[in-house]
Amino acid sequence: MISLILILLTSLFFMGIVVRTKSLASGRKGPGLFQPMKDLFRLWEKGSVYSKTTSFIFRIAPTAYTASVLMAILMVPHGNHPGLISFNGDFVMFAYTLAFGKFLLIISALDTGSSFEGMGASREALYSMLVEPAFFILMGSFALFTGQTSFQGIFSLLHFGSNVSYMLGALATVVFVMMAMVENSRMPYDDPKTHLELTMVHEVMILDNSGFDLGLIQYMTHLKFAMYGALIANLFIGQLPLGLSIPLFFVTQILFAIAVGLIESFRARHRMGHNPQFIFILSSVSLLIFFGILLLTGRFI
Amino acid sequence: MTDVLLIILTISLLYMSIVNRLTTYLRILVLQGLILFGTTFLTLTEVNMVNLLLIMLETLVFKAIAVPWFMNYIIRKNHITREAEPYLPNFLSLLIVTLIIVFAIILASFIQDKNLDKTFFVVAFSTIFTGLYLIVSRKKIITHVMGYIVIENGVFVLSLAVGNEMPMLVNLGIMLDIFATVLILGIFFNKIGDVIVDPDVDLLSNLKDN
Amino acid sequence: MIVLFLIAAILISCGLFINRSRWVNYLLVSLYLVLLWGFGVYECFHLNQTEYGFFKSDSLGLLLLLALCVIAVPALFHSSRYLEVHNIDETPHSKGLFFGAMTLLITACSMAYLSNHIAVTWIFVEITTLSASTLIYHHRNLRALEGVWKYVFICALSITFIFIGILFLSLSMKKAGIEDMTFGSLYSNRYKLDPYWLKFSFLFIFTGFTAKLGLVPMYTAGIDAKDIAPAPAGALLSSILMNLGFVGIYRVYAVLAHTPLQSWANVIMIISGLLTIFVAAVYMTRIKNIKRMFAYSSIEHMGLVVLGLSAGGIGVYAAILHVLLHTMVKPTLFFQYNQIYWVYQSKGIHDAGNYFKYNKAGAIFVLLAFFSITAMPPSGLFVSEFLIFQSLFEAHYLLMLIVVVILLTLIIWGFGSNTFQLLFKPSANMDESKIPHISSWESFSQYALLAISVYAAYNPPAPLVELINGAVGLIQ
Repeated sequence: MISLILILLTSLFFMGIVVRTKSLASGRKGPGLFQPMKDLFRLWEKGSVYSKTTSFIFRIAPTAYTASVLMAILMVPHGNHPGLISFNGDFVMFAYTLAFGKFLLIISALDTGSSFEGMGASREALYSMLVEPAFFILMGSFALFTGQTSFQGIFSLLHFGSNVSYMLGALATVVFVMMAMVENSRMPYDDPKTHLELTMVHEVMILDNSGFDLGLIQYMTHLKFAMYGALIANLFIGQLPLGLSIPLFFVTQILFAIAVGLIESFRARHRMGHNPQFIFILSSVSLLIFFGILLLTGRFI
Repeated sequence: MTDVLLIILTISLLYMSIVNRLTTYLRILVLQGLILFGTTFLTLTEVNMVNLLLIMLETLVFKAIAVPWFMNYIIRKNHITREAEPYLPNFLSLLIVTLIIVFAIILASFIQDKNLDKTFFVVAFSTIFTGLYLIVSRKKIITHVMGYIVIENGVFVLSLAVGNEMPMLVNLGIMLDIFATVLILGIFFNKIGDVIVDPDVDLLSNLKDN
Repeated sequence: MIVLFLIAAILISCGLFINRSRWVNYLLVSLYLVLLWGFGVYECFHLNQTEYGFFKSDSLGLLLLLALCVIAVPALFHSSRYLEVHNIDETPHSKGLFFGAMTLLITACSMAYLSNHIAVTWIFVEITTLSASTLIYHHRNLRALEGVWKYVFICALSITFIFIGILFLSLSMKKAGIEDMTFGSLYSNRYKLDPYWLKFSFLFIFTGFTAKLGLVPMYTAGIDAKDIAPAPAGALLSSILMNLGFVGIYRVYAVLAHTPLQSWANVIMIISGLLTIFVAAVYMTRIKNIKRMFAYSSIEHMGLVVLGLSAGGIGVYAAILHVLLHTMVKPTLFFQYNQIYWVYQSKGIHDAGNYFKYNKAGAIFVLLAFFSITAMPPSGLFVSEFLIFQSLFEAHYLLMLIVVVILLTLIIWGFGSNTFQLLFKPSANMDESKIPHISSWESFSQYALLAISVYAAYNPPAPLVELINGAVGLIQ
């Protein structure tokens, strides 16, 4: 329950911090912290236009996507306190729930009959596929480390003692951050501002959505960011009492948002043909983390 | 702490397999030189002070500063185009280097020796084989030289594993480093640049058996 | 004495390098030869004595050192003939460089033969790479550059492999608690060494030395080197440098002898040797460049040597004898090559023909040398090759023997077709007025060396047999 409330709260200002950081980095003052939310309210008040070539999938996809993300959030714990849904192996369900939502978005993009959107959908599918091993290997290695298989179990027992574990924790943070950038289609894997056919990935998928649906999809980006931030914060919270863990949570989220803003300001998007290898390197690095944890636990086959 | 540095070295190998520009290769080599500098300082605790200072100086000056600077000079002087031209797509290179690292880890797990730090062995092996792979899969001659320097870094890591008992071997390794790099880079590459404009291996195929 | 020799040789090399006058050159070269022979004779009388802990003139080292002394004389003589007469565009600077590098190569090889410590061998192998590359780059054109780049790169890789092998060797010694890495201590402690690391060590050292010895996988450096280097230098690269590879592999193999790892090492050497002979056979049947043909013939012989070494029994004796006789015979081909090139001004076989008309003594020699190098009787190499086949038969490697004999037949065919084309083909359109008159005395040294090799094979003097048996004693 706690993590749900915290994540929903964070999602209100997360994107605002990102946009603000980007503006400050370019020398402007930038909009207020809640401007993205105000844009979303504006979108939510509008009606949607549905194309005649689309079917029911196009209408239910954004709502189903929202539902999947919300359900995934229900599984994220907060340190010692489990999420509303928590059982052994729930991180696998987490990944596949998110994948289900993404799948619906992809087929709704194909549903519009536009080849442009199909191209974006296929790219999005490729990038998600390449980053999926990273998530599983990472969570798997943490499961190996702590001996637990549920989110809450893993994160509550995760502690860092030796130098190697600190480094592995730092590496895991970096991998999570980059994973978040891939999943939410931000720089350096996708440019949310570009509208050139050759270079769009996610934006092109949602080109035909409008009004309330568009608002939902954009709000899901905020929520997913907050969710990944919650996962990162969980790496550090461990078994701290609520009084300490909640401020730590917010600090981590703010730092995460600033980091996202800085990465977006200072990195260009990779060349489209080279994107796959830069995404796959996350999986290779998490493989290294896996072997590092094997080293730590002394289980060298 | 040495384990941390060595794992960063391995990640730099992964990154090296996918980059495109020659200057990025040079930056990774500088990073590797600095990592080796730190590792030498942390590992060789039983060597006497003068020898240790010499080794650390060599690592820092030679691997991290002199060699990358000199290669940069060669690249600019010979107007070598900045793309590294691989024979295989970069994605496949990344897969192969990942497989090399996994193979090195499996190989290391067969060692029965309890008092040997396996990280050294894994990192050394993966570095050496990655260096060999870089030599084989790239077209330009300058990337062959960079692959050779990566192999030398791997050999240095291996020599650190025995360095505490036999510091003479670390000195020999440094001598190898200086000798081979001076020979390859200093004498011959300058000459190659004078004769051929954009050196790649295709031009070196006049010596055939016909 | 060794240090004295080393210092004097380095001084003479520097002198040759900076010198610009012809007579001083002759003086210094003769001085060097005297010094070399003096050193060889000195080591004869100090058999099996260790100096400074790092150098020991054991039987194998002494044998190879004496072979080196014998070969160095015609090599340096033909170098000065080459630089003065055959090659017109020489400057005093390039001459000095050539002679300096030659003497440095010979010195480094002689030091490495006598070294008792693997790291010392390794250092001298590095020095030979440096001097050999100077020799290869002598002509300073694009082909020379290509050859020297390939040579330097592959040799640098091979040296790195040998160093990795030395590191693994030290790891295997760590477990036994030994600090001393000299060969003597390795031999006496061979049962205490950790076999897991010893395997890795042998693998890497063997692979590294194949670049010098000319076996699969790193033989390619040597082929280009012998092709491009001037013929007297190619003669040295073909004989004493390959012996250096042999010495390295032999001494490390001796560490593994009598341990359970010996059969494993034999398998590795057999694979390498067989592949080498196969590669040589494949290339020999298609080759058109005379010098490259000689180079491939060298690696074929080294493949046979390694097969003999791994077969055991009489094979070890035969391998050492084969190495010595090869050192006598192969350089003669390269020395004769200078005259061939002088006549035809081309390396390809298609431009050559009717050699009997232009250089009778040389042509007769080429015929004799063909019999020699393909190991047909009455060649000296016939004896050692026969013994190698005998050892393969006795070790029950029948299938391998059959394959080797078939491959050797292919090689004889390839070599023969080229040689007979050179000797007997009706002459192409050649401007006969341009061909210089070649005196018969130019071929004298080659006849002398062939005679020595025949004598050493069919009527070996007792000290020679004793020394070879002493060297065999390391392994058996």
